[in-house]
Amino acid sequence: MLIEIIDVIISGLINGSVYALMAVGLTLIYGVSKAFNFAYGSFYSMGGYIAFLLFGASFINNYLVVFCLAVPILLVFGFFIEKFLVAPLRKRDDWEIKVMMITLGLALFLDNSYQVVFGARMKSLPSILEGSFELGEFILSYQDVGIFILSIGGILIFRWFLNNTRTGMSVRAVAQNPAGAQIVGIPKDFVFAATFAISTVMVGMGGILLAQKYFITPTGGWDILVKAWVITAFGGMGSIKGSLYAAFIVGMLEAFVGWYFGMTWTLIALFAVLLTTLAIRPQGLMGKWG
Amino acid sequence: MIKVQDLNAFYDDFHVLKNVSLEVGKGQVVVMLGPNGHGKSTVLKSICGLVDKVSGIISYNLENITGKGSEKLVNQGITYIAENRELFPEMSVLENLKLGAYSMSARPHEKKNLEKVFSLFPRLADRQTQLASTMSGGEARMLAIARGLMSNAKFLAIDEPSLGLQPNLRDEVARIIKEINSQGITILVVEQNIPQITELADKIYVLEEGSISFEGSKEEALGNDHLKEIFLGM
Repeated sequence: MLIEIIDVIISGLINGSVYALMAVGLTLIYGVSKAFNFAYGSFYSMGGYIAFLLFGASFINNYLVVFCLAVPILLVFGFFIEKFLVAPLRKRDDWEIKVMMITLGLALFLDNSYQVVFGARMKSLPSILEGSFELGEFILSYQDVGIFILSIGGILIFRWFLNNTRTGMSVRAVAQNPAGAQIVGIPKDFVFAATFAISTVMVGMGGILLAQKYFITPTGGWDILVKAWVITAFGGMGSIKGSLYAAFIVGMLEAFVGWYFGMTWTLIALFAVLLTTLAIRPQGLMGKWG
Repeated sequence: MIKVQDLNAFYDDFHVLKNVSLEVGKGQVVVMLGPNGHGKSTVLKSICGLVDKVSGIISYNLENITGKGSEKLVNQGITYIAENRELFPEMSVLENLKLGAYSMSARPHEKKNLEKVFSLFPRLADRQTQLASTMSGGEARMLAIARGLMSNAKFLAIDEPSLGLQPNLRDEVARIIKEINSQGITILVVEQNIPQITELADKIYVLEEGSISFEGSKEEALGNDHLKEIFLGM
């Protein structure tokens, strides 16, 4: 029993870490531009499919190469989607709604494209690390450890970027005070595009990490979009710290509900907790940028 | 240095400025007075590229800069210091200052300007790690001015520096503006609660209902009973 519970905790931690990586990306876009990206889940699938394609190429056989290629592809893709699809809308009235509509359209377009190109059948990725090791009475797979380390590493790199680089600081500046950012001469349009690009990388990486365990399907991103959204709302819209906590809470909750009641109950439990939290604390765990 | 001809500015359909013309010479301190809500801030913001809808000609050292955005103008040495400060609340004093030096032209001078700013505002030097949101009104005002100086500006548009300031800090603001000006920075300032600033003025403009209603030296302004009573509080 105890060992089983610890296994559940480990699984919750691992999923939680990937959720954190992805939810932080979604929070970032919301915090900076107040826009909601409906195609976020499709970018998750895109990460998986890019890795699938790269592994299909005969000369690529390890994740290091895949990451080195996937990150720039996702970065450029996200940047130009913002530049050409989202940015033109920002000048119009009610642009927030229009951004939701256009990203929803993009999501449908991408998902259908995946279906046409890759077919509806599930695709899988090789495990990042093979084998397992014993830690006392527990057995941990190297794959899980690898996923955990990479997710946390991704979040730490992101944190470093926000706090220590000029572009990162300008991202925080726009999130905290757009008028102030304009006064000191920060090019807002570039910051919006850069933010979108970075969040695309974060969710795409999440896709690559989770696809090893849960397969890639053309519409698999919707589940992730919902979860990332729940985490973002739960943690407090725009609060990075809140998203981090919320991601691990959601990861744990999912693991425990899945273990005790069965996987079909996880989303229901998630929404029950979200609704309860929001009823008591409408601003989420921490409704502030941290 | 700055020449504005027939400036008109709009917020949506609201016509804020009507044919405003003014000139600020190199090294001068020019003070703009006028009732609240008549467009003084809009004049400063228009010059600094922070108003979207403007017409007329704004020139800077004979270059037409009308319609240029703030990210270009800050780089050229034109910086706005907002009346409501517009700091980054969840960032430290030091981070706020560093962002003040965001533009390409300010980056090489960041270190030198930081030293300069700290000698001008010793209290900021002591509080480098404090979050901007936890500062008092007076300190936040100093930080806003200091952040503006970090841009290595040649022209500063300072909007109501006395707003939200305790009376005993007003002398301090006047001293700082004098000091900044003596370092060769040209200043256009909207301020009517600090007589010491009016005394620094090389020229005074009065803006009423979006138009310039008076232009002249401070002696002329002081000789004008209407102005003296209403705006100079003397």
